[in-house]
Amino acid sequence: MARPKKVFFRRRKVCKFCVDRIEHADYKDLKLLQGFVPERSKILPRRISGTCARHQRLLQTAIKRARHLALLPFTTD
Amino acid sequence: MRTYELCFVADPRLSDEDVVAMTEDYKTLLTSKGVEITKEESWGRRKLAYPIKKLTEGKYVLIFFSSEGGAQGLADVERRLLQNDKVLRFLTVRTDEDLKRAARVVPRRNPNPETEAGDRGDRGDRDDRGDRGDRGDRGDRDDRGGRGDRGGRGGYAGRED
Repeated sequence: MARPKKVFFRRRKVCKFCVDRIEHADYKDLKLLQGFVPERSKILPRRISGTCARHQRLLQTAIKRARHLALLPFTTD
Repeated sequence: MRTYELCFVADPRLSDEDVVAMTEDYKTLLTSKGVEITKEESWGRRKLAYPIKKLTEGKYVLIFFSSEGGAQGLADVERRLLQNDKVLRFLTVRTDEDLKRAARVVPRRNPNPETEAGDRGDRGDRDDRGDRGDRGDRGDRDDRGGRGDRGGRGGYAGRED
């Protein structure tokens, strides 16, 4: 039974906002926001992007504001 | 002092002059109530991320303004925007608190951390708590026998349908 355990090497994820010291997620900053909405335009979860909780919250409101103004899509089909 | 920004998307079939006139209208309404316009931006015609009222483009206008103790007249302006069917979307955001918070943070990592040890700017990132492992990695439990190789469920790649 003793299979050798698979070893995963994973790059440690860091919060982009903490690293770059971005403290204000602006809904107009599409270049920034687009990095957090993959193809289907869903908001990239924290567990994948590594964004810290505080900044994910800011990011979330920014993305939703941008969506309201049709700067970002709600979904793409 | 509170600062706000108001963004609205106008019907692209309006001429630029009409949009400007509209903007001026809202601005005068605001200034008449003691609000100070600090900046104005026009992005012009821009493609919408999704169609609104069967339109695929819109003209974006931003007004930045500030006022002492709440923006009077803002409610009026918002009501007007809502009633105006040439306005596809609008959004007002109060920005002073966000900007204040942003200003507290040291904008860039200082090149020489030792010299500024007393600086409290570093409290912003508490990265070290974040590492609770990835939830994606559950596939690898040998003790469940039989279910074999279901590894590799982690990651996002598999789910981007």
